[in-house]
Amino acid sequence: MTLSLVLQAVFAGVTNGMVYALVGMGLAAIFKGSRVINAMQGEFSVIGAMTTVLLLTKAGWPYPAAIAGGALAGALVGAFIEVAFVRYMAKKNASEDSFLLLTIGLALTLSASILFFVGRDGHLLPPLGGEGVLIVLDAVIQFHALWLIAIGIGATLLLRTFFHRTTVGLSMMAASIDADGAATTGINVARMRTFTFVLGGVLGAAGGILVTPLIGVDYQLGLNLTLKGFAAAVLGGLTNPLGAAVGGLTLGLVESLAIIGISSSYKDVVAFSVLIVIMILMPQGILGRAGRRGG
Amino acid sequence: MSLSSIMRLAGATALVGVSAFAVQAQTSGEPIKIGAIVSATGAGAGLGIPERNGMLLAEKTINAKGGINGRPIKLIVEDDASNPDTALSKANDLLFSQKVVALIGPSLTASTVAIGGVTHANKFPQIAFTGIGPAVEKERKCLAHILPPQKLNAQALLEYAKSIKATKIGVLHDAGYGNVVMAEIRLLAESYGVKLVAVEKFEVGATDTTTQAAKVKAAQPDAVFIIATSATPFRNVKQLQMTQPVVAAIGSSSYEYVNAMGPGADNVVIPEFVVGEDPLPHQKAFVDLYKQTYNSTPKNFEAAGWDAVHVMAQAIGKAGPNATPQAICDAMRGPYSGVLANFNFSADDMTGIPLSSFVFSKLVNGKYTRTPFRIAQ
Repeated sequence: MTLSLVLQAVFAGVTNGMVYALVGMGLAAIFKGSRVINAMQGEFSVIGAMTTVLLLTKAGWPYPAAIAGGALAGALVGAFIEVAFVRYMAKKNASEDSFLLLTIGLALTLSASILFFVGRDGHLLPPLGGEGVLIVLDAVIQFHALWLIAIGIGATLLLRTFFHRTTVGLSMMAASIDADGAATTGINVARMRTFTFVLGGVLGAAGGILVTPLIGVDYQLGLNLTLKGFAAAVLGGLTNPLGAAVGGLTLGLVESLAIIGISSSYKDVVAFSVLIVIMILMPQGILGRAGRRGG
Repeated sequence: MSLSSIMRLAGATALVGVSAFAVQAQTSGEPIKIGAIVSATGAGAGLGIPERNGMLLAEKTINAKGGINGRPIKLIVEDDASNPDTALSKANDLLFSQKVVALIGPSLTASTVAIGGVTHANKFPQIAFTGIGPAVEKERKCLAHILPPQKLNAQALLEYAKSIKATKIGVLHDAGYGNVVMAEIRLLAESYGVKLVAVEKFEVGATDTTTQAAKVKAAQPDAVFIIATSATPFRNVKQLQMTQPVVAAIGSSSYEYVNAMGPGADNVVIPEFVVGEDPLPHQKAFVDLYKQTYNSTPKNFEAAGWDAVHVMAQAIGKAGPNATPQAICDAMRGPYSGVLANFNFSADDMTGIPLSSFVFSKLVNGKYTRTPFRIAQ
């Protein structure tokens, strides 16, 4: 095992980890704001990325406008799902299980719709910073991956500030922790929940748009992202979006280091064994305690 | 199939009837029903949809030429949704309710094995869209396979490596189809004088294989084999700026994957059978007809669908009217020159495709081109 190979594994691990983190953060944000485990978080990514692809290639929009369009699509779908389904079910006091089933159903429906309307083909987006790469000790990382990591870190910090420093963010937290209490202080609980889904939709779409130049997007990418994002969010502590970032990076690095340390055949065995050990030692997740204190 | 493609199909069929065969032959009498099971949805849809298109085109063409001894054929195509249980219930329905005389499909090995309990038990003539799978299939003497066994795919990759004098090979393969081909490569490598310097696996549908590719890169191979049904490893090899020739197994040969490879598609060589952009002389008529009908370029699985229907129709014709299933099985055995390959269905692997049937395509600017390399008989 050479230093260059280790560095390459770290590059790949951090890049993948940041993707898991973005999906996981969206999941955690929605869970934090509505107590819904969103099994269609990965579909937000696919919707955002596919919309950007279509606006760019079919409608001929400039890239920045297409990206904005993709993010907007994520926000709109998020809002629609809250207004059309979640709000109605919440009024009827639906349980957490029912919401989970709702989002699983939506994930399958959306994936099938994308297959029907857009087709089976995979699509790529142009990388930010062109096809250029940074080479350190023979290990390669694309400029785009550096952008992805930078934007991921930026999003994490923004999200933290949003939940801690802004009235809307604080109201969203209040609405989810104690809906009745929040309502008595004049917070519109239903609207806060809509904002939560918009936020989750935008985060998911951003993750999808950012990852497409690296891994491509097709109709079946969503479930894959949801699973990894969910693992990241639980690992970091589901109530804490910052935890999802830590969880995502941990998962990404453990996976890629397992490949060079042991064997690619045992990658998942090693990666998930490590996760099990973490969950046994820290059942609230790596940052779970901070999350309980409102972190 | 949309209405417009049905219209095109009808139009092209009329064209074939008039131009290619001079006279539109008349068919009469009760149609001969042939059942077909493909994976038109689910994980196998990338195989099943082109197979179905090829079959439907063959049905129209055969009927335009006068059917089987004057009787038209009627294909009853069912979708198993890539699920062996569904395949089994569809097979039961086709055999016992619809009373078809023969069966084509399924698309996937698991489904093929699953319906053996029905087809094999009844000695029912069947042509599967798979290469021979597990050992149990060797017992099934009424079954023919229209696609190569994985050993043949492994040989084709190694033949190409030999031709470019690559002796140190690195492999990136997935844990599904790739695993099966890889097992054959391990058995054959020594006889080709090839050393496997790095063999790295990833799960089916993996979104990133950079670290596996980096391990292959570190082993400094002369050439890299990629055996997968995804575009990911191709992109990763390119992203790591690996300069070795990349040879890919037939599983990733479709525009669905090639478009998603981006710059990673450059100069990838694929041993396969039909390069629609530059077909071999005996494939040209089929390719032209397909393009006219569907407005897209056919590849291997479309040709497999076309050949399967033709092989079955020929066998039914040869067995004569009111033939027993066993008689159709016997008529199926023997050599057949198809669009996909030169088959010999009496061979032990029940497909008999020779290595000389492979053509080697190279991806240039995201398009298939046919290389002059062929394997001698």
